[in-house]
Amino acid sequence: MVKKLELTRRDLLKTSAMVAGALTMTSAAGFAFGEVQGSDTIRVGVIGCGGRGSGAATDCVASSKGVEIVALADAFQDRVNGLKGKYKVPDNRCFVGLDAYKQLLALSDVNLVILATPPGFRPIHFAAAVEAGKNVFTEKPVAVCPAGIKMFKEAAEKAQAKKLAVVAGTQRRHEPRYIETMKRIHDGAIGEIVSAQCYWNQGGLWNADRSDKMTDIEWQLRNWLYFTWLSGDHIVEQHVHNLDVINWAMGSLPDVVQALGGRQFRTDPKYGHIFDHFGTEFIYPNDVRTISMCRQIEGASDRVSERVVGTKGVSDCCGTITGENPWTFDDKGTPVNPYVQEHADLIESIRKGEPLNEGVRVADSTQCAIMARESAYTMVQFKRSWFENKCTLNLLPAADLKMDTPKPVPPVAVPGKYELPGLPKRG
Amino acid sequence: MATPENNMMKMAAGVVAAGMMAGRSYGAGSEVLKVALLGCGGRGNGAVRNCLEADPSVQVVAVADLFENKAKGTREGLMKDEKYKGRINIPEESVYWGFECYKKIAKVDCDLVIMATAPAFRGRQLMEAIKAGKNVFTEKPVATDVAGCLEVMEAAKLAKEKKLAIVCGTQRRHEPHRVELMKKIHDGVIGELVGGQCYWFGDGIWYRTPEKGMSELEWQVHNWYHWTWLSGDQICEQHIHNIDVMNWCFDGPPKNFLALGGRCCRDYSEQAKAACAFFNNGKTDGWEKYNGNIWDHITAEFEYANGARVLSFSGHGPGTGRGDEKIVGTKGTSNCQDTCVDYKGAQIYKYEDKAQRIDPMVLEHRDLIASIRKGEPLNEGQRIAESTLTAIGARISAYTGQSFSWNALLKMKQNLVPTDDQLKAGPGIFPPIAKGVDKLF
Repeated sequence: MVKKLELTRRDLLKTSAMVAGALTMTSAAGFAFGEVQGSDTIRVGVIGCGGRGSGAATDCVASSKGVEIVALADAFQDRVNGLKGKYKVPDNRCFVGLDAYKQLLALSDVNLVILATPPGFRPIHFAAAVEAGKNVFTEKPVAVCPAGIKMFKEAAEKAQAKKLAVVAGTQRRHEPRYIETMKRIHDGAIGEIVSAQCYWNQGGLWNADRSDKMTDIEWQLRNWLYFTWLSGDHIVEQHVHNLDVINWAMGSLPDVVQALGGRQFRTDPKYGHIFDHFGTEFIYPNDVRTISMCRQIEGASDRVSERVVGTKGVSDCCGTITGENPWTFDDKGTPVNPYVQEHADLIESIRKGEPLNEGVRVADSTQCAIMARESAYTMVQFKRSWFENKCTLNLLPAADLKMDTPKPVPPVAVPGKYELPGLPKRG
Repeated sequence: MATPENNMMKMAAGVVAAGMMAGRSYGAGSEVLKVALLGCGGRGNGAVRNCLEADPSVQVVAVADLFENKAKGTREGLMKDEKYKGRINIPEESVYWGFECYKKIAKVDCDLVIMATAPAFRGRQLMEAIKAGKNVFTEKPVATDVAGCLEVMEAAKLAKEKKLAIVCGTQRRHEPHRVELMKKIHDGVIGELVGGQCYWFGDGIWYRTPEKGMSELEWQVHNWYHWTWLSGDQICEQHIHNIDVMNWCFDGPPKNFLALGGRCCRDYSEQAKAACAFFNNGKTDGWEKYNGNIWDHITAEFEYANGARVLSFSGHGPGTGRGDEKIVGTKGTSNCQDTCVDYKGAQIYKYEDKAQRIDPMVLEHRDLIASIRKGEPLNEGQRIAESTLTAIGARISAYTGQSFSWNALLKMKQNLVPTDDQLKAGPGIFPPIAKGVDKLF
């Protein structure tokens, strides 16, 4: 299996080198090595055809020449239908159901998969994709629990060994204004970093009504944002972007976390059981303490940004540095769409034979958000080392999960009552 | 203890000899500093004892509380205390109770009024006492709403005109190690201040069940912590200490507020049901409102004049307790107590105790009394009003979900506290728990 997949990758390299000379010729005529069909065409399978999957598919196709969407998988037929017509994907390459990803991954001509299902499934889907030898574009976050993080990281390392590309939808990492700012920060433009803040405060998000015939699982999947086992709660699902930027600026991960949060406004059961606000303190090495705030409350004020403070200046991380070395990013009139750029970078890295692998990095940032969530659920401050080694929380979906498996909504976490596996009881 | 006390007496004697013009009887040379206590709860009883400890010339001459039994009990307790023998001279007719007892206390022949009632009423109490020419020691916080803070600012101005002292129970401001450290910080030992953190996160608090004869409103005042209009919420009532230290570091209040929070685990349902039954002929329908309406956690960000953003973490819950401050500069950091370190980890300042540390709760009274004697009355009124308003600003930001400036805060028409006319034995006042998007005023 592994050997065949290695071939797949090398075929791609070879053809890519040839094409590089002759400019892009999207030939359907096979350089038929192994099971790869077609030159260096990136043949994409989309796993998770909802809003994010559709968006990622569009961005992926737009990013580079020679990209085709060739297979689709989703838990729901209507979601698959949404993309099927657009990309003219034949019926026999469209898969529906909770196991649809397995069928898609079995298609040997697919050499890149977009993973865009609810994040709770990500570690399982990612591990399977790596096992099947696929390059991966994975939406963020990449897990919702420590067990998922562990599984994802192991698979990311395996991808490294197999020379498979892994790029994550933390698109700021592919945005020139961020990249150029970070270079300067890391070169010392603001001196030593001594403080930082990041925020994702916004209003509410969509919600799908529950019809009479919806099973627990269907209803929760169609409202995955609102269930911790699926989304990781909004601090994981959304704020991971900003936390990732702070980790990037710091060049390290926080050692200690403490968070306060709750469900104050968005209390209707149709919003599942997640919180609507978190305030978190992350403590990085050398006792550098940062503020993180995230909120999804309709009508509350918005703020989505990052800020790092150094001994010589301050930066917004995305194009501005003030202080001793003032600087402003100039996009020279051609702003880059980071949602497209991340795919361009991914595909270029595959074609160059120097596959990007962002797996461990995005898993680390995801884990920061998960730690904060669990700290808020318990109100307990804990160390990352404890979380990585002692926390046994496992929210991964069972292998035999079916659409009609009963799935009661867990209670809203109440500090003092909520039990975090591995955490000694108080008192 | 003996040495500083003697020193102070010596100094005071010198000052008195130099001829004090301003102030009332005490400053004018009287041997006795007459003190009246307003608010006979735990903190009032503590504060009056701190004051008695602070200076041998202190005598207590009157006490007042909303409740007759508390006022009388405090008098008895003080009189029985051997430690203060001869210094408790409270005639029976100088024991006051009721919602308007603060007006009676202001009329007592005394030099100093100690205020330790629930914070909601401090503005009017302070104004009354200052108008009547009394020096004041006031517990923190000094208000629960914007209007209350503005009233304290007004009273502080009046006190300045009348050369009266206002000292507040933010005792960190009187600790020599902090005072000296702040001088160093203001001198730039850790460079420009670019960040900071302050915390007060701990276990829950008492819940006082109603006592025989109490009306609902009286019971609420008795159990004041649990209502925002009475306590200001925990961020105001407790965390103000740490917020005040941040304002001290930056030498003024923040220019912008952003906060979020909620109530996720504060649960007094058993006591609340009992309270409900007490006031409703044994029925517990609608008991929830007796659970109080304060939150249990707030995360706030204060942005100071130079753009520095400071984290504040406050609340009550089962988690990990926090209760300190840290200030971050371009050249180093400080624990806001006695030490500064640079970014290589080297200590760049350390306060060395020259004498045994004195209980700061006593020290603040000493400083107050010394300032009266010197004829240079300390006036912390504006400052404590600003720190109280800083906490209230964070609370309003969290309750409303809005970010706003200090100037906008000053203009908010927020008045949570009933007027004296409305404060009568009767039904309680039970605003709902804030949802995080309450309307701004």
